[in-house]
Amino acid sequence: MSNANAYTIESPAAPPVERNWWVYALLAVICVINFVPYFYVVMTGFMDRAAATSATPTWFFVPTLDAFRFLIFEKGIMWNFLNSTVVALASTFFSVTIGMFCAYAIARYDFTGRDDVSFWVLTNRMMPPVAVLLPIFITFQTLKLLDSLVGLIFLYTAMQLPFVVWMLTGYFRDIPKRYEESAMVDGDTWFQAFRKVTLPLMMPSITATAIFVMILSWNEFAFATFLTSINAKTMPPAIMAYSIGANVEWNVLGAAVMLITAPLVLFVLILQRQLISGLSQGVVKQS
Amino acid sequence: MVDQARSDMSMGRPVERRSVLSRFGPSNKKVFPWVLMAPTLIILFAIGVYPFLYALNIASQNIILSKPYLPRFFVGMYNYQSVIQDAEFWHALRTTIIFTVQAVFLQFWLGLGLALLFQRAIRGISIFRIFILIPMILPPLVAALVWRYMFFPGTGLATYYSGKLGGLLGFEPVPFLSDPTIALQTLIFVDVWEWTPFMFLMLAAGLAQIPRQPYEAAEIDGASAWRVFWTITMPLLRPAILIAVVIRTMDAFRTYELIVVMTRGGPGNATTTLNVLLTKTGLEFFDASRAAAISLLMMMIIIVMSFIFIRVFRSRTEVAE
Repeated sequence: MSNANAYTIESPAAPPVERNWWVYALLAVICVINFVPYFYVVMTGFMDRAAATSATPTWFFVPTLDAFRFLIFEKGIMWNFLNSTVVALASTFFSVTIGMFCAYAIARYDFTGRDDVSFWVLTNRMMPPVAVLLPIFITFQTLKLLDSLVGLIFLYTAMQLPFVVWMLTGYFRDIPKRYEESAMVDGDTWFQAFRKVTLPLMMPSITATAIFVMILSWNEFAFATFLTSINAKTMPPAIMAYSIGANVEWNVLGAAVMLITAPLVLFVLILQRQLISGLSQGVVKQS
Repeated sequence: MVDQARSDMSMGRPVERRSVLSRFGPSNKKVFPWVLMAPTLIILFAIGVYPFLYALNIASQNIILSKPYLPRFFVGMYNYQSVIQDAEFWHALRTTIIFTVQAVFLQFWLGLGLALLFQRAIRGISIFRIFILIPMILPPLVAALVWRYMFFPGTGLATYYSGKLGGLLGFEPVPFLSDPTIALQTLIFVDVWEWTPFMFLMLAAGLAQIPRQPYEAAEIDGASAWRVFWTITMPLLRPAILIAVVIRTMDAFRTYELIVVMTRGGPGNATTTLNVLLTKTGLEFFDASRAAAISLLMMMIIIVMSFIFIRVFRSRTEVAE
């Protein structure tokens, strides 16, 4: 029985390579289910209008870049792309830089109310964005921050902070305190010790956190829809505009989906290892 | 604590500038962590607590954004009362709970199954892993759009091929998004598609931390695989399970893009969850006060859930220490 084999005693270093065909068959089916819908939509982006809207699914066609040309030259979607890039990069930078110190304090100092603070920070992540949307909308209106990149960057920074603090706290705990202490004994100030000893050790974890936060900012939809209109419109609300109504031009939508996911695909291919460790460790390590 | 620290500071005797600053410095183990945390706490206050108080204020008045000429006055608890007496609210709550419970349940078991499968030594494991993670890395909006296309009446892949299959086996084409009951199940399916990878990732990381000794002992005792799973794997995996399930529950409870893109809460109000009802009230009917009341009631539900979260955390740290 294959099930019984799963728990035989084996050296963790070199488990025997799986030979059960059903494992591979199952995985292949799952991969197809996970990948084909997305792949098909991206493929639609390279079809012409007739092929994309025909009544039967098209699998073979002559690729064309019409939809991309339409989006880029007529709709100026690269402006939204630029907005998204600026917002994602800036909010990631600010949330990681600011959250880092908070995480450090929670991980390193034993002060009264530490658990309460770390929990309160986390509760901010649980709030449904739509619930605070209205007050934020009205406040932004008063402060003239509607449809501005500054407002969006500030908002995303705040939204990502709980996550950054949560992930980095776990990572800071992994770095022994005595490294910094010995640097400080050698005459460094606290900040020098932090910058020269702790920060380099933290760099992989910070990268993992930053990748994750950047993806979240890039993907954010609800706030972007209601707080931006023309100037600061990011990719998600821009793409939403092509899917409204009964006569959706699927090739344009496919091209738009391709554009918004291209950076993510690149990220995942290049930084797969950091991404996966960041995704899983940040949550499991926390205790 | 902050206030106490601040008042200590302000009541201090007049001292020279350098020493005032140094009181906030790293040498002061009591105050320094608060200095480090201050920027984070201030920002979170501005974007978390302040909007909350603001919403509280809005909910106690009668503000309708599309009719600014109406006189505004204090209405006390009226908005909460009218929301609670509204059948639509209870329907939305019921829909939200069905959606959340069913989706998280399926995600958990599928994710656990996958995580257990990945414990085997599989050739090309990292390629399989990328493919499995695709749905959760896509923007939620894109996932929703992709599946809207798949289930589009007539031309969508899922509609087309299930229609073909129906023609062969003799059942009617499935009205994926137009039948009230099936529409909710379709949304649950897409949520499961999108977030099972998350469960998988969390549980796989949890499994990787389980030591091997208990398994070896069970092997010597000749325990069955079934028994090993329930008496060793599940209890030792409990911390990871709790965290993964709690995070997923919170997120499923406030699912937004998926529902707005695929059904807009319809047909009728069959898939109107609390989040969708809230958006409709506030940003389509512009009834700001009523929306604020709904959002606060929703927050109360989430606070109750987060208290359960606290208890989960407490029990975790006790186990860990």
